[in-house]
Amino acid sequence: LPSSFLCVTVSAVWVGLVCLLFYSRLVRVGAAPICTNGQAGCHILSLADLFDRVIQHSARMHGISSDLHSEFEQYFFPSKNHIGRVNRICHTSTILTPNGKENAQRLAREELTEVILKLLVAWRDPLWHFQQSIAHHHDFNNFSSNKALEMSDMVHELRKGVEKVAEKMQMLGIISNSVNSLTSPEALIPSDRAEWRLMKDYVLLYCFRRDSNKVQNYLKILKCRIIPQHEC
Amino acid sequence: VVVYLNLHSFLFFHVLSLCLGYSPPGKPKLTSCRSPEKETFTCWWEPGSDGGLPTTYALYYRKENSDAVYECPDYHTAGENSCFFNKNDTSIWVNYNITVVATNALGSNFSDPVDVDVVYIVQPHTPENVTVTVMEDKDGPFLRVSWEPPRKADTRSGWITLIYELRVKLEGEEEWEEHRAGQQKMFNIFSLRSGGMYLVQVRCKPDHGFWSEWSSTTYIKVPDYFPRETSVWILIAVFSAFIFFILTWILNLKSNSVKHCLLPPVPGPKIKGFDKQLLKNGRSEEVFSALVVPGFPPTTSSDCEDLLVEYLEVYTPEEQELILEEGKDLQEGCLKSKGSPSDSDSGRGSCDSHTLLMEKCGEGEGKEEKHQERAQKGKRQQKHQTGWEEGDVSHTREDVLSPDMSEGRVKTWPSVFSPLPQYSSRPLDHQGSLETARHGLQLPGFRSTEYVEVQRVNQEDMVILQPLFSSSCQRDGHLQIGQGEDYSKVKGVDSGNMLLLQREVEVKREEEDGDRYSCDIQDRVTESCYTTSTAASSQVTGKPTSCAGTAMPVQEEMVLAANGYVDAATMLL
Repeated sequence: LPSSFLCVTVSAVWVGLVCLLFYSRLVRVGAAPICTNGQAGCHILSLADLFDRVIQHSARMHGISSDLHSEFEQYFFPSKNHIGRVNRICHTSTILTPNGKENAQRLAREELTEVILKLLVAWRDPLWHFQQSIAHHHDFNNFSSNKALEMSDMVHELRKGVEKVAEKMQMLGIISNSVNSLTSPEALIPSDRAEWRLMKDYVLLYCFRRDSNKVQNYLKILKCRIIPQHEC
Repeated sequence: VVVYLNLHSFLFFHVLSLCLGYSPPGKPKLTSCRSPEKETFTCWWEPGSDGGLPTTYALYYRKENSDAVYECPDYHTAGENSCFFNKNDTSIWVNYNITVVATNALGSNFSDPVDVDVVYIVQPHTPENVTVTVMEDKDGPFLRVSWEPPRKADTRSGWITLIYELRVKLEGEEEWEEHRAGQQKMFNIFSLRSGGMYLVQVRCKPDHGFWSEWSSTTYIKVPDYFPRETSVWILIAVFSAFIFFILTWILNLKSNSVKHCLLPPVPGPKIKGFDKQLLKNGRSEEVFSALVVPGFPPTTSSDCEDLLVEYLEVYTPEEQELILEEGKDLQEGCLKSKGSPSDSDSGRGSCDSHTLLMEKCGEGEGKEEKHQERAQKGKRQQKHQTGWEEGDVSHTREDVLSPDMSEGRVKTWPSVFSPLPQYSSRPLDHQGSLETARHGLQLPGFRSTEYVEVQRVNQEDMVILQPLFSSSCQRDGHLQIGQGEDYSKVKGVDSGNMLLLQREVEVKREEEDGDRYSCDIQDRVTESCYTTSTAASSQVTGKPTSCAGTAMPVQEEMVLAANGYVDAATMLL
């Protein structure tokens, strides 16, 4: 009897220690929650921090898309000549994006923000469907399907993040309020729906890799224009 | 006809060229396209064989999703076999399809097309203004490396993001030490070797692109400094050395006690009659024979008288002359003045032993050596007598032995239980002592002769002696009756083994020797009377019995009641 009691005591102490450890970790992790929709009592980020977060996010997104693209290229299109003959038309080519530094710098902040948001909105559905098709295809391994899933999630998150940044900027008076009209995604999707369904997977990846790079670059330009002293 | 002629000449020309060994050009190859700042780019190609004829190269490109073919706007800026696209002709995020054509008189050759998106071919120039400075810290010096992005790369507007990398090595080494610096333009290097010469290089890369070349080497020399870890070790070493020295000094001071503790001294041999010198000389028979105590075990008459010591001669240290007579092996080597009362062997070295040969003891005086010399002399004289020449220390329990005169004879007789070493007496000795007695007797004018009287023997069998002072030297001429003659002449020995003594006439002696001598006698006389005891008793004291009061028997009487000194030797006869 005393031995079992000892066992119980020891195990209780052990469980208690483990719980304490986890709790401390949880508490630490949740130390600085991001405010969503202006919740009261949460830690408020500065504009510079917001920009850093979205830029990091976009960098990660671009990295995943590059990986997936090179995987595709390896398995399905080994020779470069073959790629050259494919007619690659992205469904986002209708969106006018600056193709050079001067062109990008010539755009106003609001316009630049709009372009970013347009791009992000345009890719939400195609990426979701792409991820679906990859999940059902047995040709791809788990690693790729996980990446595709992550990628589609990221687009969604990044869009929300950029919207937050736009809100903040509008709040601070940096940009005007014309950006709000884009928040409804339904305005864009119907005109694009037919085109992207025709896209093949590989072309999709090719186009998305480029567009994620654009997004990342535009965000950096925007940031360095609005907050020049911070790492520019 | 003109057409026919043209065709004919063309064919003729071709055939002629082929016959001569000329050929159309080989296929050129686009080697690389690079953009230094993501605003312009350059493509280079490699010409194939030229076929022996002058060949021209042309680069054509098409933009994405457009069929319009354009030719390279600039063949010269970037050098030979290159095409430079300036800002106006460069579009980012647009796919270029580029082809090079080589053309000579016989034909042309197209290269394989290459797709280029400028975003992915960015290779910046090397970082600029690489400066390295030595800075000081509490832990020592360190290097601060700082640089600037290449001039053309526009990082300020955020168009390009560069990450940097630097590498360091010591002069003479082969391996570089590489460090990623991220987007910062400054880096610190620690843990430098004092007085070393370092080489530093920096390079950069856009977030998606190629690494630039390493910048030109910057040399920096680290000044000599004293590393903090070494100084701590030096401090520790000094401290331990100090402690070590102190311990050594203490050990040195207490070396004796330590020695006693660690290496207890071996007690010297305390065997009676053991002669180390003989042992060293290698004469073992003599040594062992010396161990044989004559008279022990007592083989002769079991009288206690056999164990009597006849004479105990005391030598004074200052005296020059010592009489060493033959047959005298009762000599004393020397006296240990500091006779310690106890004679325990424990814990004492051979030198400490008082019962041992005096020659071993260097302490004290050279007089002891002198004594030893004399002892040696005496030894030599009596080689056959291997008694205790060197003499056991007369480590009698005497507290005081007056060393006033050179020669004093003390009659002692040890008890059987006495721990003191005794001289064995031999018949010869008796003779000798008798003779010495006689000598002592017959030496006129020998002033130094003094007699030491045994005062008493105390409880511990210690013979307490006292000198006979010529205190009362004044003396009339007249004789006192019964005054001591110290020596009694032996008249004879009767049948019952009794010594017949003859009373000497005082006067006669007086005449002979003068006052002094008689003074001596007088002194003796004035001593308190001692009653003689029988020889048979265990404590035989040969005392002067020259008491006036006592009426001594006639000369012919027994030895027991003899006047003056009775030689103990006489009793043994």
